[in-house]
Amino acid sequence: MRAVIDPLLCQGHAQCVLNLPELFALDDNDSHGYVLLDPVPHELAEQARWIVGSCPERAISLTD
Amino acid sequence: MTTESTTVPAFCAAHLLDSWDERNPQRAFAELAGQSVPSRQDGTLVVAGREELREFLRHPAVRATDGVHHNLGAPRPLIPLDLDGDAHRKYRKLLDPLFTPKRVAALEPVIRARANTLIDEFADNGEAELLSAFCAPLPGQIFIDLLGLPLEDLPFFVDFKEAVVRPQGTTVEEQQANMRAVGDRMHDYLVRTLDERRREPARDDLIGGFLTVEVDGERLTDTEIVDICYLLVIAGLDTVTCSLSCMLAWFAERPSERRRVMSDRALLAPAIEELMRFESPVPLGHRWVTEDIEVAGRLFPAGSKVEVVWAAANVDQDVFADPLVVDFERPHNAHVAFAAGPHRCLGSNLARLELRVALDQFHRRIPEYEIAPGREATYINYGVRAAVHLPITFPVG
Repeated sequence: MRAVIDPLLCQGHAQCVLNLPELFALDDNDSHGYVLLDPVPHELAEQARWIVGSCPERAISLTD
Repeated sequence: MTTESTTVPAFCAAHLLDSWDERNPQRAFAELAGQSVPSRQDGTLVVAGREELREFLRHPAVRATDGVHHNLGAPRPLIPLDLDGDAHRKYRKLLDPLFTPKRVAALEPVIRARANTLIDEFADNGEAELLSAFCAPLPGQIFIDLLGLPLEDLPFFVDFKEAVVRPQGTTVEEQQANMRAVGDRMHDYLVRTLDERRREPARDDLIGGFLTVEVDGERLTDTEIVDICYLLVIAGLDTVTCSLSCMLAWFAERPSERRRVMSDRALLAPAIEELMRFESPVPLGHRWVTEDIEVAGRLFPAGSKVEVVWAAANVDQDVFADPLVVDFERPHNAHVAFAAGPHRCLGSNLARLELRVALDQFHRRIPEYEIAPGREATYINYGVRAAVHLPITFPVG
């Protein structure tokens, strides 16, 4: 599974980073989110599915 | 040409509901979020539902201004709040790096030291008025540090933002005239400051950054820097003051919740997010629609000025379970207290840091406190929600 953040939708709310810092981080240049681990490790898959609903802009999507 | 005077309208559609309560406005905001087509009697369209808000703000025809009206009574477009599209992106590209979590983290010891000095002033008294003694001065001092200006100029900035955020006057015209007057004084002050700073060696603060940074190969003009600073003053001074006052008032009245967070500091960051959602200190913003659009099955005609109510979206029961309950372990806290869409708060990471450090340090020094017996915290919601009277008592020694 891969996690993808749409850079046009992400506005840097940082909820993904606050909730799952193992998988997401904020860019040091613009405070927008990016994915740290690709593919998403199996042990984080469930949390990754959960985090999609925490994004205020719905910018995160998961692909198989 | 005659100009008719216009009385100042209610600040938010929620204010016009029977359920409105200055102290606990969340119920009225939730009612607004639950309406299928929220609007005002004068026809102003309101966006209050969480999902509709998200869709509305991502639409390219939804703009921060109509090119004529500027936010907060500014004489010229505020940068970047009053810009859209490529011009907006250009300035955000410049400003975003100055407010990343890593960049603002360097301020943590400064914030802690400033907080400590303020607490020193009242720690032995057993009582304090927290808005004036702590919440109001702290963000201003940090802002002055950030810009690289002398601390003795702080009262000037506080007066300016107060005049802009809560304009004096009983008519719209009177308010606008008063805002223009303070705006002109701020403009002159900043131009003078920039002149002085250009003659000095470069310094590593925000003004130093503005003077050396280049956008598309060109330096910022004085006017651009003034317009950026004008917005930063308003955005940086008032919002954190108000947010901090709401949070301290909330904790003052809930000792068991307070003790729980302070005994497990890992809860502090999620508690701040949840209280940002619940209190939504900046209740609303305005957007303009440039062409006829349909969002969530609703028509927004070209030229509409739309009231977008973050505070309502944050208590929308379709998205937040038990929205009127404060739950530090709330799953999916996709709140929009820092707004949403392209104009989402530039300084949110600085605000979060200030709130976290200020609350942490305050509770280290004064872990037990309550609203002074016989008195109560009083709130205003016009402009930005704040606990404007926050008298507390606490044991000393």
